Amino acid sequence: MAAQAEVLDAPSAQSSVPSEVKARRRWQLALFIVPAFLFQFFWGWYPMLVALFLSMTDAPIRGALTWQGLNNYNRLLLDPLVPMAFRITLIYAGLSILLTFAIPIFVSILLMEMPPNVMRVMMILWFLPLSGIASTLFWQYLYNEQFGLFQWIATAVLGLPPQSFLSSQNWVLLWLILPSILLYGPGLYYLTGLQSIPRSYYEAAEIEGAGFWRKIWTISLPRLRPIIAMTLLFAIIGSLQEFTFPDLMTRGGPNGASRTVVMYIMNILNNARYGDATALAVMLFALIMVATLIYRIVFKADPDQ
Amino acid sequence: MSLFPVVGRKQPRLRVAWWVIVALLCLGIFMHLIPFFIMISTSFKPASEAMAMPPTLFPREPTLAGWELAFNMTASARSLISQPLSQYFINSVIMTVGTLLLSIPITSMSAYACSKLLKGRSARYWFFFFIGTLMLPGIVTLIPSYLLTRNFPFPLPVAPTIPGTETPFPTIRIWNTFWAVILPAGFSAGNFLLFKGFFDSIPDSIINAARVDGGSEFNIFRRIVLPMSVPVFAVTIYFQFSGTWESYLWPLVVIQDSSIAPLTLAVRRLVDAFTYAGTTNAQTALGQSANVSNLVNQGLSWNGLMVLGLLQAIPVFLFFIVVREYLLKGVRIQGLK
Repeated sequence: MAAQAEVLDAPSAQSSVPSEVKARRRWQLALFIVPAFLFQFFWGWYPMLVALFLSMTDAPIRGALTWQGLNNYNRLLLDPLVPMAFRITLIYAGLSILLTFAIPIFVSILLMEMPPNVMRVMMILWFLPLSGIASTLFWQYLYNEQFGLFQWIATAVLGLPPQSFLSSQNWVLLWLILPSILLYGPGLYYLTGLQSIPRSYYEAAEIEGAGFWRKIWTISLPRLRPIIAMTLLFAIIGSLQEFTFPDLMTRGGPNGASRTVVMYIMNILNNARYGDATALAVMLFALIMVATLIYRIVFKADPDQ
Repeated sequence: MSLFPVVGRKQPRLRVAWWVIVALLCLGIFMHLIPFFIMISTSFKPASEAMAMPPTLFPREPTLAGWELAFNMTASARSLISQPLSQYFINSVIMTVGTLLLSIPITSMSAYACSKLLKGRSARYWFFFFIGTLMLPGIVTLIPSYLLTRNFPFPLPVAPTIPGTETPFPTIRIWNTFWAVILPAGFSAGNFLLFKGFFDSIPDSIINAARVDGGSEFNIFRRIVLPMSVPVFAVTIYFQFSGTWESYLWPLVVIQDSSIAPLTLAVRRLVDAFTYAGTTNAQTALGQSANVSNLVNQGLSWNGLMVLGLLQAIPVFLFFIVVREYLLKGVRIQGLK
């Protein structure tokens, strides 16, 4: 593989280079690329390609594999829990992006207004990562129906009847998403993007009479666009595959009202139905690819690009 | 400092607006710090006070009972999580350090090759090969990867037999060992992107000068590029560290023995015991609630859980503080397009 690669640009990489030097350069290149190639192949591309194959077999725990064609997919489509899991996943992803995505962008823009020293301290405090796992413990504690802080606020402060929070079938998704407003966003990327905007842009805009919002709208946001495009794409891909937070908070309950697709895949996997689980994963994969495509089309059609 | 006009900064209207922004930022910081405060405060409460209504702001009778249980397990706590919390902590450390030692050199060297050693079409192909999995949802690899850890290199529940015989192919089994977490993380596409973006910004002339002086590519990388790239290494190590430290789904799939389980899985175990979320029928719920009241009598309730949460949170937190200076310098990507 590495042998095909060309090493150019070194001043001596002309056709007059002796062949043993060329050979040594190839060896050096191989040293750089081959380990990464092996890992990326065996734990990246190989399982990804195998998944398609596996989803069309029964993959039994013992005995020989038999080809199932689209049987796994048909069975999943008839399972009422599958569309339900997809619906919940879409709601969860949509709500969480809607409620949380814009906040770190605006925080970063506002942070840039602070004097450099203040900004440094505030940046650390704002983007201080609270571990996701630890925060589930914390929110579980706050949402507890008997002695949680939220229950105390609802009953003693606001005078409401006792709330059922995470065991309310209608509201559980909202309660799950609200905490992530406080969580660590990709604010770092926005800050680096904002730092690279020349000050002269803002000065020129000011001479033209642009105000506060106008500057954000015509300078900061368009300049952040490539970074926002990337983080939004990762937010879409990530939130459609959400597992950790709802799994630790509710385990999919009550009555599957917060069971995302990945959680359902895990349920099937725990029953050792490898073929079905892979088929469901492939279905989620297809959904995410469609979402990515739509996103690309929409983002390209934007007028100011 | 650029959104507000340079001239006329002292106008009362603008001053008020500026202070409103400061107040908003401070409010956000305050809300961001509440979880840390409540977790620390609760971890020092006695078991019954941690479950008291109304909740107390500061522990009325501060005690170290929760923290002690992190290291000495009583018999009934042992029935819920079989290892002392410190054991899970050590397991998490082994997995994370192992992943870092493997992944950072491999990923950085391949990114360097793509950025400086390869040119033209081959560079583009390799770049796509390394970056392609980042844009594709990883969930689809979950089950094949899990089966790979059981029968490497066959992503199947049982290894196929050698044609013409009854004996199966020899396979390597890393499932339920630390390697099952460490090896699949050997290459990280996200970090590759960060490394590549940073190395691209190093001028070729520096490297060419070193080549003229006769340095081997590896020596150039180690002696010249590495010292220039401390910020990007800090950032990638931080991302890899927090990613592995927080990983939950993958260890849940490949780690079964609690003696090698990371902290994240211990969290799951304990949360189950205290919230009944994982119980499916009344019988187990009843059994667990008896267990839990036993535990409360011995001083372990949410105070112990918060100790667990702090053990999980503090390393990421400290790491962030250590690398904070590099965070803004190390990220030099301009999007994927």
